[in-house]
Parts: sequence; structure tokens; C-alpha cells
Amino acid sequence: MKVNFELNGRAASWNVEPGTTLLDALRAKGIVSVRNGCDGEGSCGLCAVLLDGKQVNSCQILAVQVEGKKVYTVDFYSKDRKLSGVQQALIDAACVQCGYCTPAVTLALHELLERSPDPSGDEVRDALSGTLCRCTGYEQFFNAARIAAKRLKEPAYAEAAAPEFAPELRHVGKDRGKVDAAALARGERAFVEDKVPSDACHLLILQSPHAHAWVRKVDVSKAEKLPGVVAVVTKDNCPDQVYTTAGQGFPEPSPHDQRMFPRKVRHVGDRVAAVLAESLEEARAALAAIEVEYEVLPPVLSIAEARRPGAPVVHHGKVSYVVGDPPAGSSTEGDGRDDPIVYQFPLHADPHRNLAASVADGIGDVDKGFAEADVVIERTYKGNRVQCTPMEPHVVLAKVEADRLVLHASTQVPWHVRRIVSRVVGLPEHKVRIIKERVGGGFGAKQDIVVEDLAGYLAWKTGRTVFFRYDRAQEFAASRTRHLMEITVKLGAKKDGTLTAILMKLDADTGPYGQHCLTVPMNAISKSLPLLLCDNARFEVKSYYTNLAPAGAYQGYGAPKGSFALQTALAELAAELGMDQLELIEKNRVRSGSRIEILRSLGEGRPGAAVTLGECGLGEMIARGKKAFAWDAPRSAADGDWRIGRGAVIIQQGSGLPGLDAANAELRLLQGGTLLMLSGGADLGTGLDTVTTKAAAEIMGLDMEDVAVVSGDTDTTPFDKGAYASSGTYFSGNAAVKAAEDLKRKCLEAAAVMLGESVSDLVLVHRGVVKGKKGQVTLAELAHQGVQGEGHHELTGFGNFKTEHAAFPYGAHFVEAAVNVRSGEVKLRRYHAYQDCGTPINPALALGQIYGGVMKAVGHSLYEELLFDEKGKPLNLGFLDYKIPSIYEVPEDFHVELVPVADEVGPFGGKSVSEISLNGSAPAIAIAIHDAVGAWCREWPFTPERILRAMGKLS
Amino acid sequence: MVNEYLKPKTLDEALAALAVPGSVALAGGTWLLVGEEHGTKGDLGRAVDIGELVPSDIGRKGTTARVGAGATFQALADSPALPACLRKSALSMANRNTRNRATLGGNLGADKSCASLVPILLALDATLEYAVRGADGKAATKTAPLAAWLERKDGLALTVSFEAPAGLLAASGRASRTACDVATATVGAAYRLEGGAVKDLRIAMGGFGPRARRMPKLEALFEGKALPDKAGIEKLAEPLLDAISDQRGSAAYKKRRGAVILADALAGAEALS
Ligand SMILES: Cc1cc2nc3c(=O)[nH]c(=O)nc-3n(C[C@H](O)[C@H](O)[C@H](O)COP(=O)(O)OP(=O)(O)OC[C@H]3O[C@@H](n4cnc5c(N)ncnc54)[C@H](O)[C@@H]3O)c2cc1C
Ligand code: FES
Ligand code: FES
Repeated sequence: MKVNFELNGRAASWNVEPGTTLLDALRAKGIVSVRNGCDGEGSCGLCAVLLDGKQVNSCQILAVQVEGKKVYTVDFYSKDRKLSGVQQALIDAACVQCGYCTPAVTLALHELLERSPDPSGDEVRDALSGTLCRCTGYEQFFNAARIAAKRLKEPAYAEAAAPEFAPELRHVGKDRGKVDAAALARGERAFVEDKVPSDACHLLILQSPHAHAWVRKVDVSKAEKLPGVVAVVTKDNCPDQVYTTAGQGFPEPSPHDQRMFPRKVRHVGDRVAAVLAESLEEARAALAAIEVEYEVLPPVLSIAEARRPGAPVVHHGKVSYVVGDPPAGSSTEGDGRDDPIVYQFPLHADPHRNLAASVADGIGDVDKGFAEADVVIERTYKGNRVQCTPMEPHVVLAKVEADRLVLHASTQVPWHVRRIVSRVVGLPEHKVRIIKERVGGGFGAKQDIVVEDLAGYLAWKTGRTVFFRYDRAQEFAASRTRHLMEITVKLGAKKDGTLTAILMKLDADTGPYGQHCLTVPMNAISKSLPLLLCDNARFEVKSYYTNLAPAGAYQGYGAPKGSFALQTALAELAAELGMDQLELIEKNRVRSGSRIEILRSLGEGRPGAAVTLGECGLGEMIARGKKAFAWDAPRSAADGDWRIGRGAVIIQQGSGLPGLDAANAELRLLQGGTLLMLSGGADLGTGLDTVTTKAAAEIMGLDMEDVAVVSGDTDTTPFDKGAYASSGTYFSGNAAVKAAEDLKRKCLEAAAVMLGESVSDLVLVHRGVVKGKKGQVTLAELAHQGVQGEGHHELTGFGNFKTEHAAFPYGAHFVEAAVNVRSGEVKLRRYHAYQDCGTPINPALALGQIYGGVMKAVGHSLYEELLFDEKGKPLNLGFLDYKIPSIYEVPEDFHVELVPVADEVGPFGGKSVSEISLNGSAPAIAIAIHDAVGAWCREWPFTPERILRAMGKLS
Repeated sequence: MVNEYLKPKTLDEALAALAVPGSVALAGGTWLLVGEEHGTKGDLGRAVDIGELVPSDIGRKGTTARVGAGATFQALADSPALPACLRKSALSMANRNTRNRATLGGNLGADKSCASLVPILLALDATLEYAVRGADGKAATKTAPLAAWLERKDGLALTVSFEAPAGLLAASGRASRTACDVATATVGAAYRLEGGAVKDLRIAMGGFGPRARRMPKLEALFEGKALPDKAGIEKLAEPLLDAISDQRGSAAYKKRRGAVILADALAGAEALS
């Protein structure tokens, strides 16, 4: 059908199918700023357009319906690559993280300002009510709206998005904008989905409807004959090998227990078959033509069931070890039918009893400690499964180019993807290239190789270009979730609150496969126990296979659950002792100069060592929170049915994996004296590329505009372990610092030759000038000499970073919650996060990371839970049913404050910032709920129903 | 998947088009086109776009308020002609993008248990003007109580009207996990007070059956009596609510939640002016 309308101020006349949505039509015509975050559910708002001036979702409008209407996308505001006032304000207020939602947010604010040039907070909330953002926590959107509104009247209006730090430095500690923000705000081609050629084939997978079943027969004969079908893969013709999808350093501490298509499906959503076809419709038709015969088995749907003697066995293949022996008494003989399991080294596992991994260790003597205690409490806490939900689902484009396999990926771990994909496809690594595109949110889910193995295999097998994107339901069912954990904490203390013993017993549910099965639960211990000083501490961690959705990495990597259990237990102990909870924390917390003995037993798979802490900012953070919350004054009075309570916790994280990981960067001096930063780091929207750019500009005496950055491309940039374990700024940032220092040294040496002066007499000053006692030379001149026949060689700096030093960021989170005693509902009246990220390299972006982290954790604490029926079928596979917070859920007084304590090894004193911010919400809210209504909620999310039950008001 | 799209210019044409089997009326599309993006909703067949054909004006004459079926939720929320309880119901769809498209007619047509507008309109005893295809093939306009039309949903909804006389008190309420969630429970309530006693009480609730409907048993609890306090209302109402357990909560919790919003609505009902 013909549709005539106005698109971005110009007449458009398109031929469309009657069923084509406006979203699909726009994208097909190259308007890629409209994004698909929920597959037409209408719940994400990322496909928004202005239709006759009103913000609407283009996925729920047929293209033919816009006949005679005006359609505006963000491209209108980005004409000639300029930025509108709103786009600039969003950048200035640090609202562009992954940028996947930015075009939609831009449109919403434009529409708002058109209606209301001086909008109130409520109006901003209302305008953005239909737009989901998983990165920012929404808070800075209010600032952006205010800035944009003020600039309508006063174009030069400016306000600081964050305080400044490191006065001795030019760029570091100052807000200089995020290097990729403008392109993302303009909605330019940046993500994998924006780079799909029109002749790409579409890959779809057939997923298991059963939680546990043998795949007896897959009949693809009809599917293969259908038009447009290029290939069909099943268990019968896929590579016969097992691997782990965990993007971790090799050898991975995760069992290799996953076959591309398993002989036995282990969760609803497991892979049964894949179809590659020339069009989406043809792929759908072929998928529908595949006939599968299953032998359904009883599923394992809980940890209790997994460990029950005689329970169904999730993995019954032969178990082998590359290095080391199986644990005594464990079963290794396979049933002859199931896929094998290969451990790279022993993880104290016994898969045939559903135990994927385990570990136990500690210091001192806990029995003695409990015997010495005046008070002993023991409580069990449960954290349910939550989904990462990046707004851009898993997606990949795979193609063959010059006899090599090239993947455009949305990944946190390009090098791990290369290693795993080459192994699966059967290629040496030099034949595979991974190009990390902009990533529309990762949060841990994209630390796993969820789609790349299959797409890579089919591209190589067929020679065709393969586009593979999970839809939102697949993202929910078969991406990676935060492990469900049950943690029993036993605490012993003297009457004065001194802890005498801590015992943490943790059982985790890793789901059908063992990616991160040991390291995530271990992190729940290793990022919670070291906050407290106690001579007797022990932990026992067990990770079980079940037939529920796959677990994996998720921002915080287990720590949020460990923190929930230990910090809430500490508050319960305080209540038992009749002490103020902060007094008890004060009595037992780490502080400057503390010797942290427990780290001896928390070595991340290597022998650990006790650490003597340098300066620790916890005291200052607690003091600021106490003051802001008038902690020592009586708490706020009840407000009708609402009771008011407060809670506070201390939290910590790490900064990468000392001794295990490494990062590299290269910095090239280009003609004209500008720089090209080649960073291995994978920027997921966190601002890592801005960190490396700043490092280069700062050290080389240039401005950030003088530096271009290319990152996360396995061909053109050097190795980096990837973006996980809070390592971005610390590892990849430090590699950039070292590369810049190396280049600076080389420049000074070359200048010394040119000027005939000694290196020690030279300084590199701002705008790239090397000054000596007698003369000076610019970086541009040095660069020119580098390419002249008679000159020196091209000047390139190289930086490698690895360390044995552990840098802990700390934080204190304070919450004031109102709990409705009749409905059980919770409102967050105040949320303050005080955090130490060392020197904040990008202060406003650091704030944004924290706001975003906190809001994710608020979602987990109050609303989010992946639910299953009694057969293991997931029930809430979309944003309509699985509720991540919208702007309406943002706390009324949401405040983040940086309390920096510079780290001696970190780049310019920087540490990690984002992951730690997820560790505070659950315990702080649980404590505040108790303070309000006297009931302990020990299972997250704290739904109104669970709260009413905890209050004894619902049976 | 929509495989044919028609945009009739008159009601006659629209009704004729809809009379063809496999045809469906399309208004804002926020319910009908869910999943259209990926064809997950199945075959919708022939979409007959009536969104701009049915009236969309909102007005009030004396004590009578009228709302066109084509009016969007946002238009309802913004209209000073409408009572606060109805505007609040429209705003309770806490998603401006959807409110800009979703229509009153679509809400009635979809008639979901969680429908935001249905309970309060039933409580206000609204009347519906609707068009059906007459024997001559032309559109014939009819009027029926909204409650009656919802049982058969014939033809096209055109205009909803209701009386907002002095002395009538009304309120609406909605409970959901997050602001933008599908409702766990909804309520609309209206009554007069005569000598301290509740008169002409109408209560409609969603979330306690396949559709949002009047709740005669609940009405009978309080009709002709002085309204108990909130705790008293909850205690009486909770046992009469019938709910199913699902991902939004157990039946027990939903009954509690329903009783709480009912008590809030009855206690918080305000004059319509
Ligand atoms: C993100 C999101 C949030 C939502 N939140 C809510 C909410 O809070 N509350 C709520 O009630 N709903 C909600 N909905 C559902 C939906 O938006 C509403 O039911 C809306 O009123 C449907 O209106 P529409 O104009 O989009 O209808 P359509 O989708 O076009 O049609 C819906 C049905 O009504 C029929 N119909 C349309 N117009 C007429 C007419 N004039 N006469 C007879 N039949 C007609 C159609 O044939 C169809 O069967 C939500 C939907 C989404 C996507
Ligand atoms: S893709 Fe349209 S609302 Fe999500
Ligand atoms: S910045 Fe909003 S989704 Fe990433």
C-alpha cells in the first residue's frame, strides 16, 4: 500500500505492506534511531516517534496509519549532525550511558518543552513515563530537562553536573562530556542492528517448551525444503563438543557443559534447532515446520530438590578433568547418553548429584567464636532470580570476509568471544575477528557467549551473512539471570556488639549450565565478609544445577546477595542486642589500616593473602549519611497508613581481578599532533572510552577533542580481558595511562634528539608542546618527523596493566522508606548513596553509574523476580509482566555523593564505581522496612504480599 | 498479523467492512497491535481503522458529561470537563506514550479485567451510544446502559455519557506492583449520602473475574447503612472478593489488596463537580 506523510519535515511516499509497523518501516528506510526494546509490547517506549506532535510508540502503529500525518524522529533534531538543546542537555547532564534509549528520551523532552517550557518534576516524570532506561536510574533526566528548559530562555545557561575533583589535573575529575554521547544522542548507526546489510540471512532458534527432556528426534526434512532456507542445525549436525559460554579468563572456573544443541534440553528455552533463512518470514515458516519428539523428564526446580538424594539428574554425562582429579566420592561415569562435562580444574563438584561446584574455607575457629558469644543469631535469606534486561537484547552479525570469520558483536568480552567462537567453529584464532559495536547495555548478561557461537558457526558453514537477535521473550527466558541464592548467616557477638564468629552458608542455583557457577556465589562472600573484622569467620558455598533459567554474571556478581544476607543479619543482631544498627557496624567494620585476615581464604582460585588496608573512607561516608538523615533524632512520624523507617548499610566491591586479568592499550601519535587510542577495553556505555581518552589527553598535554578512540576490536586493538569484575577504569584505564606514559617518554626522547637537549630538561606542556631549556618542538612536528625518511620512527606508546594490588571501593547507603500497613506497599522517600570510587575520572558519569546501579537494585529488591510455573515454564517474559523500575519508581530524594579516597595504583587514583552500587539497596530497604513496621523481610523482592506476610497480616 | 488495512470514511462503510468475517475494528492499536512487530499475536486479518471515525470530543452540558469513544486516555486526563475520578483513572495508565494512542472505545472493546476506565464508568452508571449495521446496511445509532453493552459489545462504541449530579460522590482506585504495571485490582465507586446513610451505591471492580464488573454483593453490604471505617469495610468486603493466584500475587493477597482499594475509594469519594 502507498502511504504519504511528512517525515521529519519532508514529504515521504512509501510502499508498505498493510501489516508493517511504523517501527519496521522506519528502520527499513534507514531511520535507525527508533529502537526495538520490547518487540511490540508497547512497554519500553524506545521505538517512540512524535506523531502529529505527540509521543507514541511506533511498534503499535501500522505504517499505513500515518497517511497524511507528521512523523518526527530524533533525526530531525540531528540535521547536519548538529545537536538540539535537549540532546546537548542530555549529554551535559550525563544521561547518555549506553545511549539505546537516548533518542526516545530526546523526543519525550522535546514534546514536553513544547507543551510546558518550564516543566515541573511531575511533568518530567509524566513525559518519560513510557520510556524505560536500565542504565541511568532516571535521576539525571530531571537535570537534563531543567537545563534544556533554562536554555530556551538563556542559551548560554550552564550548570555543573557534578563537583570537580583533582584540581591539579586538566581533564581528570572534570566533566568534559562522554566521547560517544553525541553520536548516540543523534541516533546514528552505532549498534549491531544498525549495521545489518539488506541481504543478511536471519537466524531463528526453536526453543524447548520443556524444562527437562531428552530430544529423541528432530525432523527437519520439511523445514529444509521450504523456500529461502539456507541451513537447519540441530543436535544431529552441530559440532560435537562441549564448552562454557562464560566469558572468563582461560582456563575458565566454569565447567564446559554446554553443547551447541544439547541431546537433553535442560530448561524451557534451551536450544533445539536453528534455522537460517533469507528472510525473517521464511525463517519463521521453517521453524514452524520442524517436528520434535521429546521424552519429558521430571524437572529440578529448586535447590532443595537438586540436593535431595535420588533427585532427577540435570547433567548425567561423563565427567572429566583437564587438570587434577575428581573429588573423592564424586561420580564421573556418564549414563552413555547425555553430553559430557569437562572441568578445566577441580571445583569440588559432583554433577551427578547436581552439585556444579563448591568451596569452603575460613579463618580462626567459628565454633570457639560462637561459644564465646553472648548472643548468637542464625537467619536465612533468599534472593530470587532477576534478569539483567539490557534494553538492547543479545544480538550479533556474523559474516565471512577474506576467508575469515568476522563478528559484529554486542559483547563485554571480545577476546573471550574470539577464543570460544574459534574453538566452537574449529578455527584458529587468527581466522576470527570480533568487532565490539556500541553495546545497548550489558550488565553481565553480555559477558556470556549467548548468540555468537551459533551465528559464527552458521556464517562460517554457509558463507552467508547471519543476523541473530534474541527477541525480548528469548532474552528473558534464555539470557543470563542473577543466581537465586539461599544464604544462612550465623553471627555470634559479645554484649557490646563485638563479633566473635561469622558463618555464611550459601547455596546457589546455577540453572541448567554451570557458567560462573562458582565465582558468582563466591563473590557473594568475598565482597561482603571482608567488610567486618572478626577473627573467626567461615563460609561454605555450594552451587547446584537445576532446570530453571540459566544464571550467570550480573552487575555486582553475587555481591548484592551476600551483602543483603550479611548486612541484614547484622541489623537483626543489633536489634537482638538492643543497639543502634550503625553503632554495631561501627564496632566491627574495617577502617584505615585494618588488617583484613579473611582475604587469606578468598583468593579467587589462587592462594589468598591478608591485606592491610590503606585509607578507608567508610567513616566519612557514614558520618555524612547520619547527618543527612538526622540519624540520632527521632525518626519521622507515621503518615496515615504509612509508617516510616530508616536503614543504612556499608558495602564494598573490588576493582578487577588482581593476578588474574590483564589489559593493554596502544596510543599512536598521528600527523598534526593528534592521538589515536587503541584500547582493548569494552565500553558498555559506562564511559570507559572517555576514561582512556582522558588519560591520553591528560598525559600528552592535549584536549580530549585531540584524541580518537577505537576499542574492543580484536584485530586492531590489543588484548583486554573484557568489561567485568569492575575492571574497566582500573585495568583498561590503567593500560591507557601506561600507553600514554610510554608515548610521552618516546616523544620526549625524540624531542631531545631534535632539540639537542637532555630528556630531563624537557617538559610536555598543554597543547602538545615539548619545551626545553633552549627550544621547543610540537607534537605535530614530532609526528611529522616520525614519517619522514630521515626522521625517527612512528611514535607509538604501549601500555600493559596487571597487578597484585587489590583496590576496594567502599560505600554507605542510607534509605528512608514508607510502608503502608494496610497494603504492604513500599515507597522510597529517601535514598542516599555515599561512595568512594577513588579519584572520579568522569564525576557526572560516575554519579550516573551509581544512580543506575541503585535503581537496578531497587528493582531487584522491590519488584523484579523471574517466575516459573510448576513445570519450570517462565511466566513473565516481557516488560509488561516483569517489572523493572520506570521513572515513577525513583526515590523522592535520590542523592549520590562521591567521597573519594585515591588509590595508589588506580589510574590517577581511580577505582571502580558501578558494580558496588547494587550492593546496598536490598539490605538497606529490608532494614528500613523493619524499622517502619517491625517485620523482617528475608526474601527479595520485598513485594507487598511478602511484607504483609512478614507482618503477620496475611496468612 | 494484519494482512489487509481499510480506513473507511463513514460509519456506514466501517460497519459494512466490519461485517465481513475476519475483520476487526482498530482504534489506538495499543491492545490490538501488541506483538504485531513480531507477528506474535497471530492473525488479525483485516484491520478496519475507526480510530478517527468515531467521535473523540469531550464535553459537559449541565450535569451531563459526554466522551467520544475516539478520545485518547491523554485527552481524558487533560479534560477539565471531566470529574477528577475519571481523569485519575485515565492517568492511572502510567505511560504517556500509550495514553497518547489508547482510546476509550478501545478500552471498552478490549474489556479486560484490568481496564482502567470501565470500573469508574460502570460506577457512574454510564450510558453508551453505539452504532450497529441496520437491516438497510446503514449505520443505526442506539443507546444502552454501558453495563448492558459490555455483555455483548455489538457494533461500534460512539459516545459514553453519564450524569454528574450534585450530591453524588465518586472515586476510582487502582493497585499495581509498579506504576506502569497491569493492574492487580481496580475499583470505581459512587454513592450519595442521605442522613448519613449510603444510597444508590454502585461498586465496580476489576481483577476479580474475567472482566471488570459491578459487584452487587459488595454494594449490598453497605447500601442504606452508615459507612464503616476503612478497617470495617475491608473486613466485610475481603471475603466476598474472588481472585485467582498468578504472577501478580496470590488469591489471598489480591483479595486483601482489593478490599484495601475499595475501602480507600469508599472513604475517599468526592463530589463530581
Ligand atoms: C504499555 C501498555 C500499558 C497499558 N496500560 C493499560 C492500563 O493501565 N489500563 C488499561 O485499561 N489498559 C492498558 N493497556 C491496554 C490498552 O492500552 C487499553 O485497553 C486501551 O484502552 C486500548 O485502546 P486502543 O484504542 O488502543 O484499542 P485497540 O487496541 O485499537 O482495540 C482494542 C479492542 O477494542 C476494539 N475497539 C476499538 N475501538 C472500538 C469501538 N469504538 N467500539 C467497539 N470496539 C472497539 C477493538 O476491535 C479491539 O478489540 C495498556 C497497553 C499497553 C501497551
Ligand atoms: S518496541 Fe515499541 S514500545 Fe517497546
Ligand atoms: S542509557 Fe538508557 S538504556 Fe542505556
